[in-house]
Parts: sequence; structure tokens; C-alpha cells
Amino acid sequence: MAGSNPADAGGDATPADADETATPADAAPPTREAVLGRLDRVTDPELDRSLVELGYVDEIEIDPPRVSVAFRLPTAWCSPAFAWMMATDAREEIEALDGVASATVELRDHVHETEINDGVNRGLPFEEVFPDADGGVEAVRRELDEKARLARQYRAVSTLLEAGLSPEQIVRLAPADVEFDGAPDSPPPITGDEAGVGRDDGASTERDGETEAGRDDGTTDDRDGGTATVYVRGGTVGVAFSASSIREYLEKAEALGLVSGADDDRPLFRTPDGNPIPADEFDMVRRRARLAHVNMDGQGGVCAYLHEARYGDRGVDASNAPESA
Amino acid sequence: MYRHEGEDVFVIDSHVHFWDASEENITHDGGEQFIQCFYDYHTGFTPEDRQWTLEEYRKYSPERMVRDVFGKGYVDMAIFQPTYLSDFYADGFNTVERNAELAEEYPERFVLNGRFDPRDGEAGLRELERQKEEYDIDGVKLYTAEWNGDSKGWRLDSEECFEYLEKCRELGITNIHPHKGPTIRPLNRDAFDVSDVDDAATSFPELNFVVEHVGLPRLDDFCWIAAQEPNVYGGLAVAAPFAAVRPRKFGEILGELLFWLGEDRILFGSDYAIWEPEWLIEAVMEFELAPDQRDEYGVEFDLDAKRKIMGENAADLYDIDLDEKKQELRDDSVSAEFGLGDGEAAAD
Repeated sequence: MAGSNPADAGGDATPADADETATPADAAPPTREAVLGRLDRVTDPELDRSLVELGYVDEIEIDPPRVSVAFRLPTAWCSPAFAWMMATDAREEIEALDGVASATVELRDHVHETEINDGVNRGLPFEEVFPDADGGVEAVRRELDEKARLARQYRAVSTLLEAGLSPEQIVRLAPADVEFDGAPDSPPPITGDEAGVGRDDGASTERDGETEAGRDDGTTDDRDGGTATVYVRGGTVGVAFSASSIREYLEKAEALGLVSGADDDRPLFRTPDGNPIPADEFDMVRRRARLAHVNMDGQGGVCAYLHEARYGDRGVDASNAPESA
Repeated sequence: MYRHEGEDVFVIDSHVHFWDASEENITHDGGEQFIQCFYDYHTGFTPEDRQWTLEEYRKYSPERMVRDVFGKGYVDMAIFQPTYLSDFYADGFNTVERNAELAEEYPERFVLNGRFDPRDGEAGLRELERQKEEYDIDGVKLYTAEWNGDSKGWRLDSEECFEYLEKCRELGITNIHPHKGPTIRPLNRDAFDVSDVDDAATSFPELNFVVEHVGLPRLDDFCWIAAQEPNVYGGLAVAAPFAAVRPRKFGEILGELLFWLGEDRILFGSDYAIWEPEWLIEAVMEFELAPDQRDEYGVEFDLDAKRKIMGENAADLYDIDLDEKKQELRDDSVSAEFGLGDGEAAAD
């Protein structure tokens, strides 16, 4: 997905990569749901929302051990760099599935579809296909990932504030302080009150998610996040909350290398520049994070209306999705 | 004049066009793609019963524009923002000369802006002087993603552009309107990056930079720059339709703008003929921030703020005395033709 583990992005996934786990031909062919589950992890980098959710996926064809996927963007002139990122990410995600030897992506109805499809499926670098572009695709990706991280931080911090944590507690929080109570792909356990702190309203969002929890076979859907607990006041008080926004934040913060792993004791939340947040700058950082969130959401609205003008439906309108907590 | 809660609100539409995208005028595929893209924006946001056909949209008459904007659109004055695209259109898409046809017929109603392209070198500087001399322009519209031969764009903070901004200062052209908004096919999006506004605004504190389309989809970058540069303004064209189709989202965008820039630095614009001002102005004037948005942002969008955004801020930038102007417009030809004379605007 956009900004996922740089190590994954670096090694172009070829059929040979799958050898470590299973011989593709031996594994059971992937289901359509499994393919969708992987595509759900690919985001439109400008909106930080999944291709599946946005209604971009047009067609999936499974011809074991090969899979091909066709997708369309809201406009024919969407940035070639963004289209490129989505196409490469989709291909890599699908090729990571057991039973898939190779994946082919087909971008449709785009002014540069020929160059993008040919380049991505042959594993060429963006710069070779679009020599006129300003700057490389990885620099653009990094910039958008940083914005996405900030927008996700806004939602994660909202959850923590509503759960009753103070700004001082929030800026000190490290990944090691967060205890996840359920596996991300299992339904959220019915907990949350042991610390005497009521579940925040965002929990209802999670319950909506529950109904979809079983829709894919084993792929992870980060939106079904279970609950998490942090212990404050010297570990004596546990505060529980729905974990999805924190999980989404962690995923992006890890992709950017700001934190790594559950034992990391560096501060979880950061300024726009990636530094720890001094307590007296909490409000300003929060306002900038809100701005990043509003911007991504606002652009989602523009795209949704253009999508409608083009295809007669609005895909998934950004603001029909659960309002962030 | 828009009548709101029993009071008249003077409206200056700070962003209008009089374009020609007729097939005869198109010389490059880019010209067809550009108008098709505009048309997608039109149909994407316009209420169904007010949509134009593509043929109407390619080229409209001066009479239609005057009727749509002033006759039924509540607008008292409008500012022309030219867009040349000479690589795509034989006579240009929306040139100063073409706009001047209308501006000269209704001088009390239109403000005519010019334009420059720093890639035009010495000849471009002479052309800018000519625009000042011939039309007495006070502002320029800049299109940093415009194609020009092999070049697909330019930057406001380039040495060449600084030479032109220096010329603007010398000539008293004080209002600089860079388009920093959504991608318009086939222009290269990267050239609409807003970061170049920062250095230009710092280096030319006497000039006002009205960032058209508030930088969307880079509202965050735009607000952050504007918060630090007092001579940076935001033009609402493209953000305004959200007031009609997605008020909650409009509230967030407006909340951010009011928070970071304040009510003195936001200008309404319809982007006519992308959208007609009538339904847009109704939507913005009727819009109210939700109580939680007022709390979140700590701002108000009350009648005072609406007056500023709808006209007073643009009047300040263009040195328009609103009391005098109201008198002047009361019995001009447009008021006579559309029965607008006594302040009872078409709102009734």
C-alpha cells in the first residue's frame, strides 16, 4: 500500500519471492474476497482512503496462478504519479497472496493508461516512463504519507482525548504503552469499562465494522481494530478505547520510520516535522493535524463529485464514511 | 445586491470568465480536454435543473453573461480573471482583449485584470506595460501550470517571475491572483504546488497574493503559508459549491480558513461560467456553521463576516468605495434592464 514497509516497496515482487512460503502453483487459488482484501490495503495517496472503499476497482479476474485487476480513477487526468503509486501498490499487494504467481494491473480511462500499465506491469521505474515529471515518485509518496500520518494522528488523538487522556499524557505516550486487546482481524472483545472510563462514541463505528469482520479469508482489515488500553498514572489506571484509529496511525507512523514495533518507547505522536511534541505545543500541532485531516477529506469530496460527473455514481463519498471520533 | 435578513449585502464576484472554447478556436487536443474538464466540474456540482449543455458552455454571449451574473445572480460587480492558454486556443481561451469587450461596455460593473507569463521575457514585460496603459489594470491572474512551448509550467518564486512582480510593483498592479487549485487536464498538477507563494509574498510585501481556489487540494499548505504571510488572501472559487452540495464539508473548509486567515482575507468568487453565481451565492449566504464547528474553530460566520467575504474585502483590495458605488449602480443600464434599481435585489 502507499507508504507501506519500504523494504517491500524496494524489492519488486516477482513470482520468485513467493518461494519462501509456498510454491504458487501448489497453493489453493486465491478467492475474490482475498484479492479485494489486499486491494483494500491500497490507498489513493491523496485521499488516504482505500481503492475498494472509493469504488475504483472495476474488475478482478482470477486465472490461477495469475490475477488481473482493472481500476478507474475519478478523472482521466488524475496525476500520473498518483495513478502509478496505486497501480504498483495494487500489484505488490496481490502478488503477496498465497497462490498468486503474478498480478497484472490495468488502469482504465486515463490519459496515460498505456504508459502506466506497460511500465508498472514490467516493473519499470516511474522516472524512466515519465522523464518530464518534476521529482521522483518516491518524494511525492513521502510527502503525501507525511500528510496522511498527520491526518491519522488527528483522528487517533481525538479518540484518546475522548477516552479521557490529557494532552500531557498523550504527548508522552509511546507504542510500548499501548496494549491491544484483540487481534485486528477478530471481532472487538466486549471490554472497555474495566478502567472506569466509558467507551467513546467511536465504538459504534467499530460495531458497524464488526458486520464485515468475516468478509475476507484471513487478510487483515485494519478498520476492524478491536480495543486497546493504555496505562497511566504509573501504570495504575488503564484507559480503554476503540483501537482502529490508533492502529491506522501506527501503520503510517511505522511506514515513515517514526516508530518501530510494539516495544518502541519513543513518543508515538509527532509534530508535522516528525519531532516529539512539547506539551505547550500540543494545541498548535493538533490544529495542524486537523488541517491535514480536513484537506484530505475535502479533496475526497471534489473527487467524489468528479467521479459522479464521469460515471454517474459517487463511488463512496468521503463523508458517508464514519465521521472520525 | 443580495438581501439577507432584511439587509442588503453588496456582492463583488472576484472570479469570472468570458471564454471561447468553440471548436473553431481550438488548435490543440489540450484545448478540447480543458473545456471537457471544466464541464465535468460544472456538471459535477451544478444542480441538475441549472446545468448547461456542452454547446452552451463552449461559448456564451455577452448578454447571457450580464444576465446570469448581474441580472439574476445577485452580483453587483465582477472581476475578470483572464486565462490565455494560447498553446491550445487560436485566439486564447479567455483573454484580456475578450474580457475588455464587456468591461468597456459596463465599466461601472466590471474590474478588468491582466496577466503575465514570465517565460515571455522582455516582450512580456512590454505587454504588461501595455495592459496597464490601455486598461489601467490593478491586478493580474497567473496560471503557473500553463503550457508554453516545451515548458509545462513556471514558479512564482523564480528569478524571471520576480522581475515581473517588480514590474507590477512599479506600475501599481497590486493584486496578484495565482491559480492554485485542482488539476485541470491536461495541465501538470505539480505546477499548482502552493509553496512558491511563500517566498514571493515575503519578497513583495506591497503586493497582495490572492490564492485562487485556496490551494485545493493543498488547503493545508495554503493555510499554513497564509497564516504567516499577512499579504496572502484566499479566493473561494471551487470551495464555494460545497456550501450547496456538502455543507458539513464546507463548514470545515471555511472553519479552517476563518481560523488561519480570518474573515478579512477571504474573497468570494463563482468562477463563472464554471458555475452560475445565483445558486452559489444563495448557498454561501444561507450557510451557517454547525454549533460544534463554531466551538471547534472558535470562529463565527455571521452577517459581518459574510459582508466582508462577499464584497468588502475585494472592495478594499481594488479601492472601490462601496457607498459611491451603490449610488452609481442604482440607475445604470444593468439596473434599468433588470429592474434592480431600488436595492430590492433579485433575492425577492
